[in-house]
Amino acid sequence: MKLRSFTALLLILTMALGLTALAADFDAKQVITVVSREEGSGTRGAFVELTGVQAKDASGEEKDNTYSEAIISNGTNLVLTTVADNQAAIGYASLSSVLHNDTVKALKVEGIEASTENILNGTYKIARPFNVVTKGELTDELAKDFMAYVMSKEGQAIVTEDGLVSSANDQTPSYAAANKSGSLTVGGSTSVAPVMELLAEGYMELNPEAKIEVQSTGSSAGVTGALDGTYDIGMASRTLKDSETEKGALATVIGTDGIAIVTNLANPVEDITVEQVRQVFTGEVTTWEALNK
Amino acid sequence: MSETGATTPAVDITVPTRPSMHLGSRFLKALCWAAGFVTIGVLLLIIAYILVNGLPEFFSRDEQGTLHFKASLFALKYNSRNLSMLPAILNTLTMTALSLLISVPLGVGGGIYLAEYAKPGSKLVKIIRVTAETLAGIPSIIYALFGMLVFVVTLQMGISMLSGALTLGTMTLPLILRQTEESLLSVPMSYREGSYGLGAGKLRTTVRIVLPVAMPGILAAVLLSIGRISGETAALIFTSGTGTGIAGINDSGRTLAVHLFKLQEEGRAVGASFAVAVVLLIIVVLMNALSSYIAKRLTKKG
Amino acid sequence: MRGLFLASACVCIFAVGVICYFLFANGLPFFAKYSAWDFITGTEWAPLRGIYGILPMIVGSFLVTFGALLLGAPIGVLTAILMARFASSRVVRVMKPAVALLAGIPSVVYGFFGLKLLVPFTRNMLGGNGLSMFVASILLAIMILPTIIQTSEAAINAVPNSYYEGSLAMGATHESSVFRAIVPAAKSGIVSGIVLGIGRAIGETTAILMVAGNQARMPTGILAGVRTLTVNVLLEMGYAADVHRESLIATGVVLFIIVMAINFIFSFINRRRVVQ
Repeated sequence: MKLRSFTALLLILTMALGLTALAADFDAKQVITVVSREEGSGTRGAFVELTGVQAKDASGEEKDNTYSEAIISNGTNLVLTTVADNQAAIGYASLSSVLHNDTVKALKVEGIEASTENILNGTYKIARPFNVVTKGELTDELAKDFMAYVMSKEGQAIVTEDGLVSSANDQTPSYAAANKSGSLTVGGSTSVAPVMELLAEGYMELNPEAKIEVQSTGSSAGVTGALDGTYDIGMASRTLKDSETEKGALATVIGTDGIAIVTNLANPVEDITVEQVRQVFTGEVTTWEALNK
Repeated sequence: MSETGATTPAVDITVPTRPSMHLGSRFLKALCWAAGFVTIGVLLLIIAYILVNGLPEFFSRDEQGTLHFKASLFALKYNSRNLSMLPAILNTLTMTALSLLISVPLGVGGGIYLAEYAKPGSKLVKIIRVTAETLAGIPSIIYALFGMLVFVVTLQMGISMLSGALTLGTMTLPLILRQTEESLLSVPMSYREGSYGLGAGKLRTTVRIVLPVAMPGILAAVLLSIGRISGETAALIFTSGTGTGIAGINDSGRTLAVHLFKLQEEGRAVGASFAVAVVLLIIVVLMNALSSYIAKRLTKKG
Repeated sequence: MRGLFLASACVCIFAVGVICYFLFANGLPFFAKYSAWDFITGTEWAPLRGIYGILPMIVGSFLVTFGALLLGAPIGVLTAILMARFASSRVVRVMKPAVALLAGIPSVVYGFFGLKLLVPFTRNMLGGNGLSMFVASILLAIMILPTIIQTSEAAINAVPNSYYEGSLAMGATHESSVFRAIVPAAKSGIVSGIVLGIGRAIGETTAILMVAGNQARMPTGILAGVRTLTVNVLLEMGYAADVHRESLIATGVVLFIIVMAINFIFSFINRRRVVQ
């Protein structure tokens, strides 16, 4: 009994593993697997706005026309995993995450490579600000000091190193540790969270008495949390809405992040236009073959 | 399921006489074996897949090609480079302890009431049974909403280990309550009579004589609860949140299961998630093995 | 002490009351702003434009559960029969803990397994992109197996041995006695196990979120993706504010009502069985 079931298991296992490893040549007739994010995600909000996937409909109302067959992934990594595993897939994700990931390929947009230099010089168009959000001006000493660190030469070096575009220049002041103590909660966008974690780690090294907790929940939750006091500082990977600024939300840009259009490594497509991106993500074009025409 | 014991429906026994019917039954029996193999096969496949992919993640090769244990996976502080799971492991322990602190006293106390004090068949007992069954059937995403609305927002505990533990405490309560009741009921009446005969009171009899005998059954339920708590994700994401540090009662902290879920979502490493899955699997297997070992000892005694 | 024990027993009642109260108190105000009928029968979900139709998710939940049942119920019941009547005690000693272990594996691990193995497997074998109703159903079928096996096995074991002996005495073989005398006698117990499995399947969240593709439109095929009620809540709660948030709690209310209905059917079957 034991031996039999064991051999059966081995058989199943080798079959399964063999099949997953089976990778055919790229077939352009394949239906494109469109990978998007959930409604309310900052990355999706910025993406649909910048690429024209969101457009005014007949009644003049802004409408997000994302293809109804698009897979909805609940995070940057799930987008990247899905695209890395599926030859026919296309998705979009924070450039800073894509730069740390060699399992997918970032496409050139309008012939411009997705890189920090090209975002800085303004040629790569699909980019959005990473914001920290506070309710009015900060009053808490620790929060103020942390923000000073984030915007300092040292903080912005971390931001740049992570693949974001920093607005820091020679005038940016250095941070001097004041050995603050206490605790802070920073929460919001899942795209901003990774770099914020690095910033928090850097800060806590300089101020061992301080404790900064980073929560990744989502851009809108970050703004809401900053307004209702759940978070001392919120994070949003998009510009604030009017309804949010009216309630007193104040945004500070800590860096600019590109949104990379990513495909599978096996996909021969290297370059895409914004119009093609729009066509794919609204479902007007559904195969790779049709896209290249 | 204790209710199943009462089955005595009337059924016509039609006895097959033709050989073709024997063949049909033979075929069904073969199907039974096939189904059994599928069940065991699936379990082995899952475990093997996670282990095969996860175990190598605990080691790294240096330039000479010698294997080293990746101690950074268990560094005291999590950061986005080492992806340490130690804080998550400690948070899982805290979460388990806190949740059990809530559900065990309530569950055991309630079970004692149902088994030793309540009049069987009374209205109150019926309501308690029905509500316990209801609690057991509520999906974890509803517990997530409940925990968020009640503990995080209304009682202003914020996203914290405490909110998470209260939520999971409620979730595991019915499991412990029902198992305690069943274990107490299976203790022979003679134990109680003997104790009364020696002049002991009700409380003394229950706590000193009956409860110790029923202990293995209760312990098995506690171990199963530990398994559920360490595996829970949905109910914790909005109650105890995703804090990456070693969390105190009022801090947000991710347990191992939430850590795995979040690594999928935002992180930059698939390998590390396999490693987390391995640890999670080991905890569950351990808890299950312990639980069935204790249950086995219990049946041997009885 | 008696009072203390009584109080802890009553915590269950209290908890159910609090859950109901908070869920309804936070979910129902949504229906003052949005028609309940449009909510349940609407086929479009576009919360940012104020359109909240959850019919795709209701249908999705039921289809995924149905698929899981189609696969999980026969395997589960047959395995239970095997364990109760055919397998030797040595085999049962191995299978019992195995089934318990299957029940103990966290859903996030199931989801991870599905995402890494079943999704690519389906894509390569059957086409589509793999993140599909098909994979979600398979995963759910595996997850409800232990529930069905444990309940059914207990029901079959509870059938008095006289049924079996009677059948044997009348000249039937061991196999046909099992299938024609014992299994029919345990029918209602088996059915209640399946109903319990349905409850599990409809409430499952994390594992499905990871493998189902999560498109919020009416399901289009078994190899296409699907979004369930549970996933809708988990997916968007982090982002939601105001009415959107209320709509998600209302989604929770709908799910709660469905699960309660299933639980009610379960206890109804059980009660009838006891009365018989």
